[in-house]
Amino acid sequence: MSDHAPARSPQDLDDSIAGGIGESPTRPDGALKVRGEYAYASDLWAEDMLWGATLRSPHPYARIRSIDIGPALATPGVYAVLTHSDVPGENLYGLKIVDQPVLAVDVVRYRGEAVALVAADHPETARRAMERIEVDYEVLEPITDPELAAHDTTLPELHPGGNVVRHQPIVKGDPEASADVVVSGLYTLGMQDQAFLGPEAGLAVPAPDGGVDLYLATQDLHSDRKQTAQALGLPPEKVRMTMSGVGGAFGGREDLSIQVHCSMLALHTGKPVKMVYDREESFHGHVHRHPAKMYYEHGATRDGDLVYVRATLYFDGGAYASKTPVVVGNGTTLGIGPYAVPNVRIEGWGLYTNNPPCGAMRGLGAVQPALAYEAQMDKLADALGMDPVEVRIRNALSQGGTTPTGQVLDYPAPVAELLDRVRRLPLPAEHDSAPADIRDLPGGASNTTHGEGVVRGIGYGVCIKNICYAEGADDYSTARVRLQIIGGEPLAVVHTAAAEVGQGLVTVQQQIARTELGVERVNIHPNDTDVGPAGSSSASRQTYVTGGAVRNACEAVRDVLLQRVAARSGESIGDLSLSGGKVVSSATGVLADLADVIGDDVIEETREYHHRETYPLDEELGTSERAQVQHAFSAHRAVVDVDTELGLVKVVQLDCSQDVGKAMNPEAVIGQIQGGSAQGLGLAVMEEIRVDGGTIRNASFTDYLIPTILDMPPMNIDVIERADPNSPYGVRGVGEPPTISSTPAVVAAIRAATGKALTHTPVAPEHIIADIPR
Amino acid sequence: MRLSFTVNGRQCEADDVWEGESLLYVLRERLGLPGSKNACEQGECGSCTVYLDGVPACACLVAAGQAAGREVGTVEGLAEGDGLGAVQESFVEAGAVQCGFCTPGLLVATDDLVNRVPHPSDAEIRESLAGNLCRCTGYEKIMDAVRLAADRRASSEASRSGKTDA
Amino acid sequence: MIPFDYQRADRADGAVAAVGVRPAAAFLGGGTNLVDHLKLGVAEPELLVDVTRLPFDGIDTLPDGGVRVGATVRNSDLAAEAIVRQRYPVLSQALLSGASGQLRNLATTGGNLLQRTRCPYFQDVTTPCNKREPGQGCSARGGYTRYHAILGASEHCVATHPSDMAVALTALDATVHVTGPNGQRDIPVTELHRLPGDEPHRDTVLEHGDLITAVDLPELPMAARSRYRKVRDRASYAFALVSVAAALDVEDGTVREARIALGGVAHKPWRANTAEQALRGAPATEQSFREAAEAELAEAQPVRDNAFKVPMARNTLVATLRDLAGEEAR
Repeated sequence: MSDHAPARSPQDLDDSIAGGIGESPTRPDGALKVRGEYAYASDLWAEDMLWGATLRSPHPYARIRSIDIGPALATPGVYAVLTHSDVPGENLYGLKIVDQPVLAVDVVRYRGEAVALVAADHPETARRAMERIEVDYEVLEPITDPELAAHDTTLPELHPGGNVVRHQPIVKGDPEASADVVVSGLYTLGMQDQAFLGPEAGLAVPAPDGGVDLYLATQDLHSDRKQTAQALGLPPEKVRMTMSGVGGAFGGREDLSIQVHCSMLALHTGKPVKMVYDREESFHGHVHRHPAKMYYEHGATRDGDLVYVRATLYFDGGAYASKTPVVVGNGTTLGIGPYAVPNVRIEGWGLYTNNPPCGAMRGLGAVQPALAYEAQMDKLADALGMDPVEVRIRNALSQGGTTPTGQVLDYPAPVAELLDRVRRLPLPAEHDSAPADIRDLPGGASNTTHGEGVVRGIGYGVCIKNICYAEGADDYSTARVRLQIIGGEPLAVVHTAAAEVGQGLVTVQQQIARTELGVERVNIHPNDTDVGPAGSSSASRQTYVTGGAVRNACEAVRDVLLQRVAARSGESIGDLSLSGGKVVSSATGVLADLADVIGDDVIEETREYHHRETYPLDEELGTSERAQVQHAFSAHRAVVDVDTELGLVKVVQLDCSQDVGKAMNPEAVIGQIQGGSAQGLGLAVMEEIRVDGGTIRNASFTDYLIPTILDMPPMNIDVIERADPNSPYGVRGVGEPPTISSTPAVVAAIRAATGKALTHTPVAPEHIIADIPR
Repeated sequence: MRLSFTVNGRQCEADDVWEGESLLYVLRERLGLPGSKNACEQGECGSCTVYLDGVPACACLVAAGQAAGREVGTVEGLAEGDGLGAVQESFVEAGAVQCGFCTPGLLVATDDLVNRVPHPSDAEIRESLAGNLCRCTGYEKIMDAVRLAADRRASSEASRSGKTDA
Repeated sequence: MIPFDYQRADRADGAVAAVGVRPAAAFLGGGTNLVDHLKLGVAEPELLVDVTRLPFDGIDTLPDGGVRVGATVRNSDLAAEAIVRQRYPVLSQALLSGASGQLRNLATTGGNLLQRTRCPYFQDVTTPCNKREPGQGCSARGGYTRYHAILGASEHCVATHPSDMAVALTALDATVHVTGPNGQRDIPVTELHRLPGDEPHRDTVLEHGDLITAVDLPELPMAARSRYRKVRDRASYAFALVSVAAALDVEDGTVREARIALGGVAHKPWRANTAEQALRGAPATEQSFREAAEAELAEAQPVRDNAFKVPMARNTLVATLRDLAGEEAR
């Protein structure tokens, strides 16, 4: 639409790789990525483009008395300085609750909230001009304790309606049940960052029709478009979005970042405007995983059968709602773990505070309770004198079982099998059987120990995660599939808006089209808003829903072809299939080449895939016939060595058993399990955004640590396929479970090695060193 | 200022470079070589790793002027003609690429390793790549890729010198 | 980042003159710290004089048996140098435990010594900091202080020095050669860095325009048995919570001499004089090591979030000495 289509975007993926469903073809974007030619959002470039920058609040909570943009606007090279009064449409957005200003008006609710925008001819000019914007703040006392935000009615209300984003009770059976053996605990989890490597970035190009073309990295084009159009005061069709390369997401790109800001600057200046966050701004500019405070009590018989679970969970949502309502939904419905428990009372609170906003991250809402319920299961095993795996198996949920919301699982739930399998995977050698390489010991190359004071521990974790959107959302995706003959060969083109964020969705889409259409060459059209919505690359849902949509569209294309051939040949359509670029009859063999059937035609069909309906939770009791469409399960075993003198942990081995329903691409499944496990390991032993007085104090990769290649151990991975009869191909979401069960397994192993209670995650050296109480 | 240095064997010049720009910025924004990545721009992630006079360095922390007259090698220089170099090919084949943002830096670091050490042990691989963060893969398939690249590099060296194992 | 000029120096005297005459000028070494600080707005020089191509890139044995390390020698090259690995393993280990390969290939000997603190308040220009702006106040006092000092801090500053290399040099009693507007002088590395006192903006005793040209490692046979141990939150590529550089000379089960410095605990690399004194003549036993460590840390004053550093420093020191004594016994 615009005069300035950007250079370096998008890219042509390889359409010549072979491999259908169940095989492991390589990625169609692999060659571009290793050549450095894959155009990520931060690589976008257009002739004559300007650079945008965002002025952010230095205070977690303050009233804005005035903003003076005069000196900034007078800076040579500056084209625009914009504030809330320049927001053309509605100055509010949000994923679930529309509560966040595009640019702050009279109050800032978190450190890092966007206040003003600058466009200039060089990124440094923009930054310098930004420093010359004078904002007069009246600093207010921030609310930083979510539990207080839930109950202290004397605190100021951060939003109209108060500081509670969502309160959800779940009650099953007798909530006051009693039991012979009771264990309880209070568990806390720090704030985790998605730490995707590709920073938030985009290029907005003003279009002659008064609209804007935005090239960007996101998880959900249509969600972005809806919110952006609203804020720009434009009809959605005038806000066109095209996906650039996405440098990882993990939930951190569900909320808006540059979208409205970049578009406003482009529309205001009439020039293309590029925005790229640096790492510090990225920490302030996207949501994080909700920190949680969780009170748990488990009751069991002396034989080890769970009688009840009672829990109260506080999730700190920070200044704006983002995905907090869903975190409360997932956290409570999944709050007892993959166990069958007759009596349950869970209460979940999602709160507004002046801490950084929290929202989606891999394992949304299920990560937090898993740390608590798995710690409780170990505590229970200890109290009963039982093996921790046996206690879990004894109480494991299974097909036909009922969740705390009353939903009956009508698909495989092989929790006991996964636990049994993971404990049978080979264990690493003991240190005394071989001389240790110092690099394999805690502290690694830092030379901290030669084995003295080192104790080994083994721990287990198992989890449950809902797949796809839940609680009544109409969850669907759209695919357009075109089949034509190019150069004498059939070529299929798959067009969706589903975000490739690194997980390999482009590969799976090609595999499905190859299998369904019996062709070799499948091209993946760049993602944009010219096709219907796909929803977000989140909730482990894209292979399920977009895979389903691509399958449906392929089937529609196939039906057109087969009808044509059936009419021509007189054969029954039921006898016909596509294979190897030919139409084949089960009765009479090869009937025709696709090239002959299609000729110069283009056969194009667009289809949606909607998964089974889900229903909301009852507000008082949390009951729902089907709150969630599918559940996935994984089990981890961690082996750790702990230097008990220095508090250092080396994860020696991390093993996983996971049910994936159907491994569409077995190697990609392994890659998801390895990557998810690494994020879980990071959360277990190092990853925590340090928020002090409402402000992040480690907004860099030097101070917020994620695992390096030296921290990540080898893994044994055991994938099983127990097909879900309700999903396309029997698939079960893969991406999230390994992030969930790995963390409690590692923490359990450290507990086993040290005998410490370790109620806070991540576990840091100070929690382990003997004479420091925690 | 005017900046002149060698990139991937070619003499390059950039005009109007501002002193505060980094080598990474000059490569990406002035020379049209965006392969080196800008994940942290603080030397904390390794995604901007380039060869600087033959050794890997974080291009984000090299002030533009410091690159004057030096030899820079980027991921764009690892290809062999229109085809992929052995290290690049190994990363694709081993499934070591997911989102790919860390990949260019890892490729340069791996290229350096397999050039220096013909048969690196796992411990050596891990130590050599500890300055390159990856958030997607959990590193296991990167280990596979480096082992594969080292084997290929070693066997192509061997065949070049006429000492094939077969 | 404010605009600045860039010059590349060919001669030391020219570099010193260029920086000396402009109050807002600074030397630029490997850039791994300063370039980051330019981006963060922590450093705002008007002129950068690049000293990385000065002819100070040699590592030479001195007539008295010591070793002279040029100021522009890269950290990776110094760590790999055979003479350093053999005679001063603590230095090689300290260098290799710092940062990453890509940064060690850039960082210089002189620049590493002059690294500035990682205190989050120092790096966040929106918060008051006496080190960045004298008189503003210290935000770390009462704030997030997990990485901060337990020894020698003042009410004005509780930051730590981030270098690993400097801790090793401190244990080795290295000497720093400086050339400046007032000529040349030598400074023992133990006196190069300062405690914060009421002037935390001054990291070192260097004056404006002073340029480090070389570091001398003294002849020190006992350093052939030396160790650097670094405790950090992940296996590599992280700053020290606590580190120990130590060399131990044990004869017949008795400590004849000890050289010990601690990192991550103070505003400067902390030479453990008290522990060394306690060890001289003491039996080389776990108990002596523990007593020496406890004596050194008796004055420790942890702040809100770093009480763990006291036992961590003690245990690291004891483990390092035990390790060295064990090696001696073998």
